[in-house]
Amino acid sequence: MTLWSQALEIARVDLQVERRLGDTARIILPFAVVALLVFPLAMGARLAEIRAIGPAVFWSLGILFGMQVALRQSATDSSTRRDVYALIGLDPVARLLGRAMSGGVLLTGFLLVLFLAMVVLYGPELASGSWWVLVVSSLLFAIGLTQLSTLAGEVTAGLRNRAGMASLIIAPLSIPLVIGASQALAAIPGGTGILPWILLMVATDMAMAVVGIGLARPLEEASR
Amino acid sequence: MLRDIDLELAPGSVLGLVGPNGSGKTTLLRLLATLLEPDQGKATILGGRSGTEEVYRARPGIGLIGHTPSLIPELTLEENIEHMARLGGHQPLRGRQALSVVGLEEVMTRRADASSHGMLRRAEVALLLLRRCRLVLLDEATTGLDAEAAGLVGALVERTRESDGGVVMVSHDRSRLDGCDSILTLSEGTVEVSP
Amino acid sequence: MSRVRASLALAAAALGVGLWFALSAPPDVLQGAYSRLLYIHASTLWLAFLAFGVTCFASIAWLIRKRPRWDRLASASVEIGVLFTAIGLVVGMIWGKAVWGIAWDWMDPRLATTAVMFFVYLGYLALRAATDDPVARARRSAILGAIAVVQVPLVYFSVNLFRTLHQTQSIRPDGPTMPDEMVTALLVNVAVFTILYVALLWVRVDLARAEGTKSGVGLVAGEAVKPPRINEVKDV
Repeated sequence: MTLWSQALEIARVDLQVERRLGDTARIILPFAVVALLVFPLAMGARLAEIRAIGPAVFWSLGILFGMQVALRQSATDSSTRRDVYALIGLDPVARLLGRAMSGGVLLTGFLLVLFLAMVVLYGPELASGSWWVLVVSSLLFAIGLTQLSTLAGEVTAGLRNRAGMASLIIAPLSIPLVIGASQALAAIPGGTGILPWILLMVATDMAMAVVGIGLARPLEEASR
Repeated sequence: MLRDIDLELAPGSVLGLVGPNGSGKTTLLRLLATLLEPDQGKATILGGRSGTEEVYRARPGIGLIGHTPSLIPELTLEENIEHMARLGGHQPLRGRQALSVVGLEEVMTRRADASSHGMLRRAEVALLLLRRCRLVLLDEATTGLDAEAAGLVGALVERTRESDGGVVMVSHDRSRLDGCDSILTLSEGTVEVSP
Repeated sequence: MSRVRASLALAAAALGVGLWFALSAPPDVLQGAYSRLLYIHASTLWLAFLAFGVTCFASIAWLIRKRPRWDRLASASVEIGVLFTAIGLVVGMIWGKAVWGIAWDWMDPRLATTAVMFFVYLGYLALRAATDDPVARARRSAILGAIAVVQVPLVYFSVNLFRTLHQTQSIRPDGPTMPDEMVTALLVNVAVFTILYVALLWVRVDLARAEGTKSGVGLVAGEAVKPPRINEVKDV
């Protein structure tokens, strides 16, 4: 099997397991929407401010809850399964790539639903052309966050408080993605270029990909 | 910690490893599986020298049944075997055949997390049958199995022996290693050959 | 015709009657035709309250008697209650956008409390889905189902506790605040949705009973696993 075939097989099974467990749709997404409710309630219904902070709240929650999507239980391999994968000839790069792909699919869907919920609840004023910028930003955001989360998940595999430790690693490193995504959307009404912000996200994603491919084998060996 | 391990396994032979808890049996098995590297000295497994790229080419010839089951809990037994078969470049249909031979044809649509320990072990044996490994490593593989399933593990061992492969069986109970050509006892991190 | 089909047929017929009354009632002077959405909005939320009340009752019954039928009733009622709450919220948002100009008003505590109630019961369903053992699932759900009902009076009385954009109760002890035709249409639709609730509850409980039976039927322990075919091991 080629590297891409193996990666697609890992992604396919990941998504199949997630469909049966339903962590993203049943737990993480509703939790994220409840978090969307919390901000305005805490602000005391100042409508103009609520409208203004909507997109920023969306990207912040996208990071915090997106991490949970990427680090979900269904994407975790036991040490015995890792051993069998290694012996069966699964390329470590394919395993990471497959995990990143399945996480990317889930995260993109998650972000789009969360964005719709934000639009309904916060009523932000979105300039024309926002939707395609949102789709592109969400895709790049999802790719970058998933790669970062997959790597952090590998680094913290088997540790006692894996979710917390991985989140501690991911949150600061994901700041370029938050800045790029939120500024790209904010750049439209101001008339300033969105390209620098999109390029920032592309560069972050590519850096993550290079690091992931380079470190796949050492990460696998280190996790034993 | 293991030390002074000098081991050679001839084709067609079955080696038993016995020792008390914590004596390093599983560590030695994982070294033989190329999943660990020795800190000193060298290990050559199926022609692949440890610490080199050759190890990755040798691994598809190595099969391991470890302490805990390796199946994905949310998938059925059939889906698990087909998944592993695809990753290893085998025909998924052969996976179903293997599950049938090990006696799981009526329950192959049962999820792994709804299956008993014995059923999971049989499924893992099915995977090894499918892969036709040249080196089979069994870590307490018959623990908790009924006589039929233990006989299945024995059949796997015999098939590997007859095809000039090698088998290493680990147990804390010497009586489970009666069919082995030789038995090594692990004690205080080193081995002693038993007659 | 089975009783489930009969109840669904009755519910469908009742929906037709409710629709006729809703369309026949005069439109509101200020809201126009959009006022008809309130028959659905108010009815579904009323029935959500009923559904969650039934869940509370069934949960307490399970905690006392430990009979599976109470667990089936509690969970089926939550599923329907969550569905009705979602419909009520969506219809309310459509109405709010058309009449108030905004789909979601943060100054309205009834909206926020209803949304919170929705998510709590969504959490109830997630908890059930995450628990494999039937007894543990029933116990945890029963505890949550008994506690979560406190939100129902909170949602209902929120319009009285806070001065908000939201309409206060239309049918009060001192008399309704709407014309008689609208009151009739509202009450008919409440009855219609009650029939729909009962029909759906019946269907869902029947399904849960069948699912419970199926998981216990089949191979007897010991028959599931066949003897391995040792002589075929070489051929795999």
